[in-house]
Amino acid sequence: MKHNFFFFTILFLGIFFNCSLLPAEETEDSFDFKLEEFEKKPLQWGGYIEGKLEHFSLNTESSLYLLTIPEKDRSSLDRATGTLQLKGNYSFAKNSLHWLLMGSANADQEEYDDWADIYETYLRLRPTETFTVEAGKQTYKWGTGYAWNPAAFLNRRKNPNDPGEDLEGFISLESTWVHSFGSTLNSMAASLSILPVWEGVNEDFGRRDNVNLAAKIYLLVKDIDVDLIYFTGNSRSTRYGLDFSSNLTTNFAIHGEFSHIPDSNRIVLTEDGSLSPETRSATSYLLGLRYLSEQNITTIIEYYHNGQGYSEEEMNRYYQLAYDTHGVTEPELAAELLAKAFTVSRSGYGAFQSGKNYGYARVTWKEPFDIVYFTPGITTIVNIDDKSWTITPEFLYTGFTNWELRLRASLLAGGRFSEYGEKSTESKIELRARYFF
Amino acid sequence: MMRKVRIQLAIFSLLFVLPGTLWAIDGTELLKQVDANLQPPTYEMYRKLINIEPDGNKKEFVFYTVKKGKEKMLILFLSPASEKGRVSLRIGDNMWLYIPNVGRPIRITSLQSVVGGVFNNSDIMRLDFHVEYDVEKLSDQGETWLLELKAKSGSVAYDRLKMTVDKKTVQPLDIECIASSGMLIKTLHYSDIKDLGDGFIRPAKLVTDSPLHKGYKSVMIFAKIKKRELDDEVFTLDFMPKIGELR
Repeated sequence: MKHNFFFFTILFLGIFFNCSLLPAEETEDSFDFKLEEFEKKPLQWGGYIEGKLEHFSLNTESSLYLLTIPEKDRSSLDRATGTLQLKGNYSFAKNSLHWLLMGSANADQEEYDDWADIYETYLRLRPTETFTVEAGKQTYKWGTGYAWNPAAFLNRRKNPNDPGEDLEGFISLESTWVHSFGSTLNSMAASLSILPVWEGVNEDFGRRDNVNLAAKIYLLVKDIDVDLIYFTGNSRSTRYGLDFSSNLTTNFAIHGEFSHIPDSNRIVLTEDGSLSPETRSATSYLLGLRYLSEQNITTIIEYYHNGQGYSEEEMNRYYQLAYDTHGVTEPELAAELLAKAFTVSRSGYGAFQSGKNYGYARVTWKEPFDIVYFTPGITTIVNIDDKSWTITPEFLYTGFTNWELRLRASLLAGGRFSEYGEKSTESKIELRARYFF
Repeated sequence: MMRKVRIQLAIFSLLFVLPGTLWAIDGTELLKQVDANLQPPTYEMYRKLINIEPDGNKKEFVFYTVKKGKEKMLILFLSPASEKGRVSLRIGDNMWLYIPNVGRPIRITSLQSVVGGVFNNSDIMRLDFHVEYDVEKLSDQGETWLLELKAKSGSVAYDRLKMTVDKKTVQPLDIECIASSGMLIKTLHYSDIKDLGDGFIRPAKLVTDSPLHKGYKSVMIFAKIKKRELDDEVFTLDFMPKIGELR
């Protein structure tokens, strides 16, 4: 209760603070262009404050409901979340220091939680026009796929339902050399990244006490973007990747990614219920297109094969384990099963889209019927193997300066032992207001 | 070489100041002169775009732009806060958009609108007219010329343009943008000719309206155009998040 009061006080103060920043009624000729207001300053900062309300309808019959919802008589959940992002940079000569800080607090009928973290803080040095060194905690956003990036070996895995959201970086050293040719090979960029995994440093990346190397060569060949990617290091096994994207016409673009891991490691829940490490080669790929119609409707379609994903049979064992945690009366056995199920979930089974084959489609209609700054859209993700799916219609409005309002609903459906049939949520409504400053 | 060009330009300019000239005017050369009067080949520039809705509501955007040669352009959004840090790169027909929260450049198309309202990407990242269009017809309208232009390829946002050019200043007054179906998509109205820096005299205001968006209007204000030499490496995907360092 005390926490809830604290949370809502912060949210209220945030909204009040931001409302006070709204521009006053314009009294001068707004066609004036006062350039001095936009003079570059060494210190630049900004960010957003966000309020989000969510209503979840829970799938009380699902395995993950039994595993993750502590209070078993609950069929719905209401959650309020406040988030603050602060980012900025300080420039000196051609060098700069960058930071991105995130903090969030949320409360629902079950619990209150808050956190704050440094997502990025790194130093960028540019000794020459064509050479850059970046050192510190930074986020990698490699790849050309919208929902998935199988060839982006240093990226954190993103949520395909919100692929643009900020992700926490890794501590690394990256150097990049760029050259422009102006011929068939229009330009190229070669970058090398060093990413250590030590105690307290990038521990969630992979095995500890290793220094990893990643190299990426970007080429713009005619009208095609191509990236060649290589990763080696003992935190994760050696892997090779390639991605591309190209506009075939003014309104039609294609993109794709390919990755091969000769010795891919994963944890598998075996038939006898034990967890077993497995090494084998894994090939993943993604093919996608983007089409803009005359009516200003953008369609993105992607197919993703996840070579490291789990088969239907392997996923079924995980769901069965989650079911088994329920109804056990022996406390010690119940605790043991629950701990095992959580271990299995963390080992990869509980990640976003941990299956093998997926389809993704997103259709957005910018400013329909002359309603400017209004964009309705719909997103769907299908697990092609178990035929389960999620669909998310949404409305986005950006007509108020520096405000972004988004209303979206999600519906998840699938049979027993299917990915979206076994999620703890069967539908969700979300209203999000974000104010940029 | 430069001297030869200067002489050609002088002769060409003389043709414009002779009223009711009997000499045939080369439409392509006229279009090149319009381009030269609108912007230097390589420059940096600030612009403000104001989208005005029928009820009078306004939304403003401020851009910093650098351009090199015939086909390279880079734009940084300076305002509003929700768009600040966005960068658009154009190399010929290729366009990319970098959004700070997304963190990587994404390919976009010339027909998409980054800012909403009447303007689309190709309006904001327009290359020289003579690079994208051929002159089909040139008509003398007394105090103005009418240039009828046809897109050189299907990758250009508008199939045809009808450009009215003031004979005295050799600056465009109005441009009608027409789709391949013959439909008028929008009309551009140039005005407020003045010195925008470095002695560069051109229209400082561009008002755009569209029959497809009745009652909506966009106003582009130009400021501080400056010739600037830039490395080719500035116009690469890697440089997009770093464009602020040029200012």
